[in-house]
Amino acid sequence: MSPIAIIALIIGIPSLLLLAYVFVRGSTGLRRYILTRIVLTLPMIFILATMVFFILRILPGDPVSSALGPKGTPEMIQSIRTQLGLNDPLIVQYGRFLWSMVTLRFGNSLVGGHRPIVDEMSERFPATLELIVPASILALLVGVYGGALAAAKRKRALDFSLRIYSVVIYSLPIFWFGLVLQLFFGVRLRWLPISGRIDAVIGTSLKTITNIYSLDALLTGNWPAFFSVLQHLILPTLTLGLILSGVFVRMTRINVIETMQADYIAAARARGIRERVLIYGHALKNAMIPVITLIGLQVAILLAGAVLTETVFSWPGMGSYLVERISARDYTAVQSVITVFAMLVALISLAVDVIYSLVDPRVRY
Amino acid sequence: MKHQKWFVLASVVLVASVLLGACGPAPTPTAAPTQAPATQAPAATQAPAAAPTAAATTAASNPDTIIIGTTDKVASLDSADAYAIRDWEVLYNISEGLIRWVPGTTNLEPGLATDLGTISPDGLTYTFTLKDGIKFGDGTPLTATVYAAQLNRLLTIGPKCPNDVADSLAVPYVQSITAPDDKTIVFKLKSKIAFFPQILAGAPYVASDPNIFKADACNLFPTAPIYGVGPWYVSQYNPDEQMVFEPNPYYTGDMKPQVKQVIVRFFSDPNTMALAVQSGEIDVAWRLLSPDQLTQLKNVSSLKIGTINGGRIQFLVLNHTMKPFDDPNVDKAIASAIDRNAIADTVYGGQVSPLYSQVPPGFLGASQSFDTMYSAPNLDQAKKYLEASGYSATNPLKIEMWYPPEHYGASTAAWMQVIKTQLEATGEIQVTLQAQEWSTYVPALTGGKAYGAGVLGWFFDYPDPSNYLDPFVYNRGEGTNVTIPATGSDTGTPINDKAKQLVALLQQADTETDQTKRAELYKQAQDIYADLVVTVPIFFSAEHVVYQNYISGMSSIASPDTLNIGPNILFNYSVLSKKSQ
Amino acid sequence: MAKTKERPSEALPEGATWEVELKRIGFVRRILTARHWYGADWWFVTISTVAVVVFIIIALFPGLFAPYSPDALVGPSFLAPGASVDLPVLIVPQSSTVNKLQDLAVPESADRPTVAVEQGLPTAGALNEESQKIDEVIKNQPGGLRLRPIIDRYASLEETLQAVVDGKDKAAVVQTTEFNKVKAQFPTLREAAPVSGTAATAGGFLMGTNDIGQDVFSRLLWGTRIALIIGFSSSIISLLLGVPLGLLAGFAGGTFDRLLSLLMDSLYAFPGLILAIAITAVLGPSMFNIIVAISVLYIPTYYRIVRGQTLSVKEEVYIEAARSIGARQLEILRRYIFPNVIPSVAIIFSVNVADAILTGAGLSFLGLGLPPTLADWGIDVARGQRFIQTAWWMITFPGLAIMLVVLAFTLMGEGLMEIFNPKLRER
Repeated sequence: MSPIAIIALIIGIPSLLLLAYVFVRGSTGLRRYILTRIVLTLPMIFILATMVFFILRILPGDPVSSALGPKGTPEMIQSIRTQLGLNDPLIVQYGRFLWSMVTLRFGNSLVGGHRPIVDEMSERFPATLELIVPASILALLVGVYGGALAAAKRKRALDFSLRIYSVVIYSLPIFWFGLVLQLFFGVRLRWLPISGRIDAVIGTSLKTITNIYSLDALLTGNWPAFFSVLQHLILPTLTLGLILSGVFVRMTRINVIETMQADYIAAARARGIRERVLIYGHALKNAMIPVITLIGLQVAILLAGAVLTETVFSWPGMGSYLVERISARDYTAVQSVITVFAMLVALISLAVDVIYSLVDPRVRY
Repeated sequence: MKHQKWFVLASVVLVASVLLGACGPAPTPTAAPTQAPATQAPAATQAPAAAPTAAATTAASNPDTIIIGTTDKVASLDSADAYAIRDWEVLYNISEGLIRWVPGTTNLEPGLATDLGTISPDGLTYTFTLKDGIKFGDGTPLTATVYAAQLNRLLTIGPKCPNDVADSLAVPYVQSITAPDDKTIVFKLKSKIAFFPQILAGAPYVASDPNIFKADACNLFPTAPIYGVGPWYVSQYNPDEQMVFEPNPYYTGDMKPQVKQVIVRFFSDPNTMALAVQSGEIDVAWRLLSPDQLTQLKNVSSLKIGTINGGRIQFLVLNHTMKPFDDPNVDKAIASAIDRNAIADTVYGGQVSPLYSQVPPGFLGASQSFDTMYSAPNLDQAKKYLEASGYSATNPLKIEMWYPPEHYGASTAAWMQVIKTQLEATGEIQVTLQAQEWSTYVPALTGGKAYGAGVLGWFFDYPDPSNYLDPFVYNRGEGTNVTIPATGSDTGTPINDKAKQLVALLQQADTETDQTKRAELYKQAQDIYADLVVTVPIFFSAEHVVYQNYISGMSSIASPDTLNIGPNILFNYSVLSKKSQ
Repeated sequence: MAKTKERPSEALPEGATWEVELKRIGFVRRILTARHWYGADWWFVTISTVAVVVFIIIALFPGLFAPYSPDALVGPSFLAPGASVDLPVLIVPQSSTVNKLQDLAVPESADRPTVAVEQGLPTAGALNEESQKIDEVIKNQPGGLRLRPIIDRYASLEETLQAVVDGKDKAAVVQTTEFNKVKAQFPTLREAAPVSGTAATAGGFLMGTNDIGQDVFSRLLWGTRIALIIGFSSSIISLLLGVPLGLLAGFAGGTFDRLLSLLMDSLYAFPGLILAIAITAVLGPSMFNIIVAISVLYIPTYYRIVRGQTLSVKEEVYIEAARSIGARQLEILRRYIFPNVIPSVAIIFSVNVADAILTGAGLSFLGLGLPPTLADWGIDVARGQRFIQTAWWMITFPGLAIMLVVLAFTLMGEGLMEIFNPKLRER
């Protein structure tokens, strides 16, 4: 079974179960809301995919002459173009593209070995997942804790410093931050590896199942590989996670402060409950609700950040794949990557909205 | 409702915490079980508490494995298709041809054949006899019949393959390949070609496994293991990550592997690769480190840098049918105003050398024609040429120059900027620089219709001067338009008498087998080439291999300092050995 | 549905009591008084406003502040901040009669002299420049002498000097202080005259020079212009498109609103940089194209906020009242709804400029945005990445510059948000 399929199952089955549970137990309004949301997600993906398809077709470059370089003759270029179906009418190509998206086959790459895009993505997508999941967790931990802390110490030095932190970290160009970390921890101190996903030698001993190396190492009980993967993860995760944490600090802080001014908190305060308990016990819990929405919105920033992080750290994920293939004018690969990104964004925001509608009774269905 | 809400929230928290347990608290480097004693970095033994990671030491501490870093990507592993240096390197390591280059040189020696072959008096027939006991990595023996069939596959399968190497390196030269008996292979050529043995030594002619590379289809990425008759076989291949080589158990030749495993690791950019070789993550960095990284690595004491005087050249292409470059005075003015030394030193820190002919030094008949003719930089002379065509400070020559921003390294923009400054120093030229992505750039430049002037780089397919001159003169000449294609002609119609003379000289040189006479013909050709300013050669660069000081090549054969990589920049992994630490 | 996706932070100001208070006092006193009300946020806004003004002034007149043109080659490559060149000196064998560079001149027909230099040092440039200068003078003089040395490049100082000892080269040009360090090992060599030339005498660049000898500081200042042009133009374009669309959609509602919202939501949810990469790859590298690409990305930001606010303001009692007394639709939109969205649009604009600058820098870093010879911060960081270990200054300063400008705009937005958001004021 392909790694992509395994990952889809790992994520898909629990989500489907959850959705089914919610659907069965939920109110009529909730059911209708979830259905509408799902129905609305599809045109969103369709719009983006179509946009990308046509944008790429106006590109002046040509994948075939790009791959052949100065040594290609016009006849060779034409024959290969015909072979790859690039000489068909645009509408035929579009139809083929839509069909390949529906069947999730994506077609074959236009450059190099013309490998199936699904195969290439089976190698790239798990790498991106392995980077963005710990990065989001780090961002969330730092963000939520920092935000709550800042709110607790409102208008004091700590609040001030945390706010400065959140703004400064948000203003850092992520690629520059990555480079600085790389130079300091990788080159100067030599503590951490600066590129790749796993040590080359240890990598040969790792049997890949999902292509998420940490998971594969755990599943096969390959401890050296597991630790090697973790080491390689540290710098990219720090880069992406810390940059993201800025927004979370800011949002959590604002939300906790807003909640602290709610009447029930005032009531609780009047009952003599300690401020600490108020903040971490009551306010934070409610403030977390909008933060959930924020997670959905941050997916965009997360993925864009992943593109730059992967480029800086030679991380063989979807982002570096995209950048690589854009310059090779590999339409099929680029449109597939962007469509997959679109699906990812749409699915996560769907999931977030569903969860949000469950936990926040104020949402109108 | 209330109940539900908390159930969901709890499950979210649960999932998050499980993930957290798996990925969150990344252990500090010290917690890593460095399976082998850290031996490379002295810091490791002094301060075990701050020991470098396993990653920083494994490359050094594993005596049986050598890790080679590269920024090249594998594009094809089918010898009937592959047309890139990285692909050829893989093919040479897993297989072998009838004749081969002596490692470290461009001289030829017998490979699978018993000798360098018998050539018929008319120079059209080459006959080779196979050595005994040649077997593929899976044990299948190689017979002349099988070999000839695979070579015929090369001649016929080309159009089905994306890179179609045969179109350039087989079909134009070879009429037929036959095997009269189980030991003999006979090549019949279409015409007498002076440099055919050099072509025959090339990767398209290595023995390929008929079980993997079938007659009817191109197989760019066979599933590992991939066998040939060479010293190694590919045991694992993860595209974009690494390719693992292990010794071929059936190999009987003289280039036996000295280590148990070679891993080629793919990097997406040279900078990361430079950092990796510096931190000891990889043993060898081979292609392509840019001059910028070399300047940095030069001062690292644990590293050695081998310099291979290679044939990589960069030059300006001028389109001789487009205004204003159809005016010979304009072309000559440009050739006179460029200061190649300044480019070599300011942009590349002296890591590249000025080039004064399209044929780089070291090749047969290479001259310094552009230097003798224009003694650039010579601004007075440049002005004279410009003024002869009516240009002046008030009526300057306005030109656009194109370049690809990434393809030849990011320094291209820098040296184009320097050339612009130099040309504008005449006071009578105004230059506009235009960057264009490689894929758009190449057809626009070499198609010969869109760009008047642009940058191109070149590296030979076979080590011979003809490979540096013919492509820029014959058939539109990669956008130089010195000849215009005419139907049924291999060379096209020359645009003027000088071009006609040049074409005639080159054709004569292609069939001349006397090396001294050939060299003389090429000398004359280069003078006319410079007079026509077909292209403006700018600089040539050496290739560099950077390796840890505990890695060494074979001292018994040529150029051990460069790990026995010769001017044809082919790296034979069998020469590598690793000193135990 | 829309409600669930609203950014909580961008909630609108409800009451306007603080505005009423402010209106009663003069401008200067208003600013000073505000300091007492808002504490840190006042300082955020003030400091960042000053910074923004400074950046704008630099962007308008970079020529006034920059010592050099951003493209000019003004010194040797890789000169560290403030450093100056170690004077190059001509080294010849003790037995040689050569005392200065000019003595190496030979008749036109004779073999040209070879001179050794070490790779990657300004000495080669000095030698080249100075020889050309001397040649220019002597070639027109009687005697027909020419000075066109062939430069041999060696990897280390020792190899360079050894080449002269072995007679491979007539002379060498090396740095004076470096030569003094190894002088003892080469007793057969002696120092002749120094070799000057601008490549040898330039120095004292505030932020050093880059890989081809351009002044990093000058490029940094000129880069401000490009960053701000990208930031402001793209934000203004998206504002001009996003705000009216948002007002219309929110006000009109119906199918138009739904379709537009669907399109905008798709755009908004999608990673901006990735879309910008695709768009700039299509349009090709140029300033105008990068602005177009970025402005497309931020239209939804304005659209969503303005639409959301229009929706909620539309329900207010006073709008109902205006409608009931027969105010025209357009009138309601202009007089009642539009003024309400101005504060949040101002906040978004400020943050938006910052975002646009960051996105632009990211694109340039990937080599997709601008022509690679332009003095732009993203390009300069990408350029410096290749020299990260030898020339830290090439990457540090442009990176800091991006950070500072983005910081100024973000901080301004952040402070304004805190000030405008009445929910956050202490009760």
